[in-house]
Amino acid sequence: MSNIFDWQLVFTEIPLLLKYLPVTIQLTLIALIIGWVAGLFIAIVKIHRIPVLKQLCTLFVSVVRGTPIIVQLYLTYFGIPIFLKYYNFYNGTSYNVNGIPPIIFAIVALGLNQSAFDSETIRAAIQSVEKGQVEAAKSLGMNGLQIFFRVLLPQAVTVAIPSLGNSLIGLVKGTSLAFTCSVVEITAQGKILAGNSYRYFEVYCSLAIIYWVITIFIERLFTYIEKKMSVPEQIAEKKEA
Amino acid sequence: MSVVEIRGLCKKYGSNVVLDHLDLDIEEGDVVAIIGPSGTGKSTLLRSINLLEKPEEGTIRINNKVINLTTRSAKEKLELRRYTEMVFQQFNLFKNRTALENVMEGLTVVKKIKKSEAKRIAEKQLEKVGMSDRLSHYPRHLSGGQQQRVAIARALAMEPKLLLMDEPTSALDPELVSEVLVTIKKAATEGNTILLVTHEMNFVKNVANRIIFLENGKIVADGTPKQIFDNPDNERLKEFLVKIHMLENTEYAI
Repeated sequence: MSNIFDWQLVFTEIPLLLKYLPVTIQLTLIALIIGWVAGLFIAIVKIHRIPVLKQLCTLFVSVVRGTPIIVQLYLTYFGIPIFLKYYNFYNGTSYNVNGIPPIIFAIVALGLNQSAFDSETIRAAIQSVEKGQVEAAKSLGMNGLQIFFRVLLPQAVTVAIPSLGNSLIGLVKGTSLAFTCSVVEITAQGKILAGNSYRYFEVYCSLAIIYWVITIFIERLFTYIEKKMSVPEQIAEKKEA
Repeated sequence: MSVVEIRGLCKKYGSNVVLDHLDLDIEEGDVVAIIGPSGTGKSTLLRSINLLEKPEEGTIRINNKVINLTTRSAKEKLELRRYTEMVFQQFNLFKNRTALENVMEGLTVVKKIKKSEAKRIAEKQLEKVGMSDRLSHYPRHLSGGQQQRVAIARALAMEPKLLLMDEPTSALDPELVSEVLVTIKKAATEGNTILLVTHEMNFVKNVANRIIFLENGKIVADGTPKQIFDNPDNERLKEFLVKIHMLENTEYAI
């Protein structure tokens, strides 16, 4: 009976899995940056109601939010090669599909997925800043970019931080599906290890612990940022401007 | 020679004409108060001068530069806004910045003044409005009157040719009104040119040297406080003054 659950294995496997942690982090960070930049772009398009682009963005957000991430990963993994073949055929080029590292597919899919969700958060956050402050900034003679970066964005970020943290946690766990694009990150490595030892349950326990610890770290980090960025509850005794 | 000349200012909302070919000259150092029934375009006039509204027609000459109020050029808009500053009914301070940072913002970002110099100017302006002891307070930690005084300091720090004030005391608790009025009066006696929309008639009587009665987008009466309040020669103006109890001993008096 002592062999049904090997709890020691749960801990001895963790270092083996952590070897692939950099891949998970790389996936997360790059997808996160794509998500925020593209999300900001979509939010701005929607706020300014730029014709054509706005309809395209709305369609994009609707499709991405309406389909599972695993389907999106498959679509990019199989879709980009097909697109390249057509492109090569019509333009006489010879781009090699196999020359693209698999991690690119996963990053594109995760990043675009992230952007669709974050765009709504960012849009709502920007629109939560009172119009009056924008008018005051205009009246001071600030130009559009100055207003955006000095008035709107700093206040919008404060509002958006909790939701962005939430979606980042979702993204970290979403990277566990990157094996569908033949990327080996910690979950894929876990499956490989378990395939050798047939100790699936132990590996999944190890993975659960790792993801949970990462999530706790992100939660702490975002709580700290939120506190740092928001206007203090209490009146500051002395603050050097 | 007038410091500001507005010619043929027109503004419509749909088919509703708010400002109707309005001409207005303001002399340097003048404190001009705009009064009139609600919905006659008092605020719209101020906001059009600062291009927070887009007028259909009109030009403005300010600081010897003629600018078309329908201009689409960002450069001209910024130039016009640099000569004018607005004080809002709802204060509109930047919520994520302290009182000092609020006043410094335009100086460093728009006028590109060095931080240390901007801080010096901002401190001086905040001292003038009596907010020296609240430099590092955020707007949420200030009362409405204090916020409005910071907003006035923020506008004055930019040294505008024309200071626009859109009902600066209308959003305040009655007990906080006087501290803001004192601040405005001080700004007026220091020689700032001010165009003011307000319902504080007694204040207008004491501080303004010219009053404009606006109705249906047109200037119906224009004169000194004495002419407007003591000898109104226009029937509509008389009616208005009776309604707000500023005209005594007339046949209309209740």
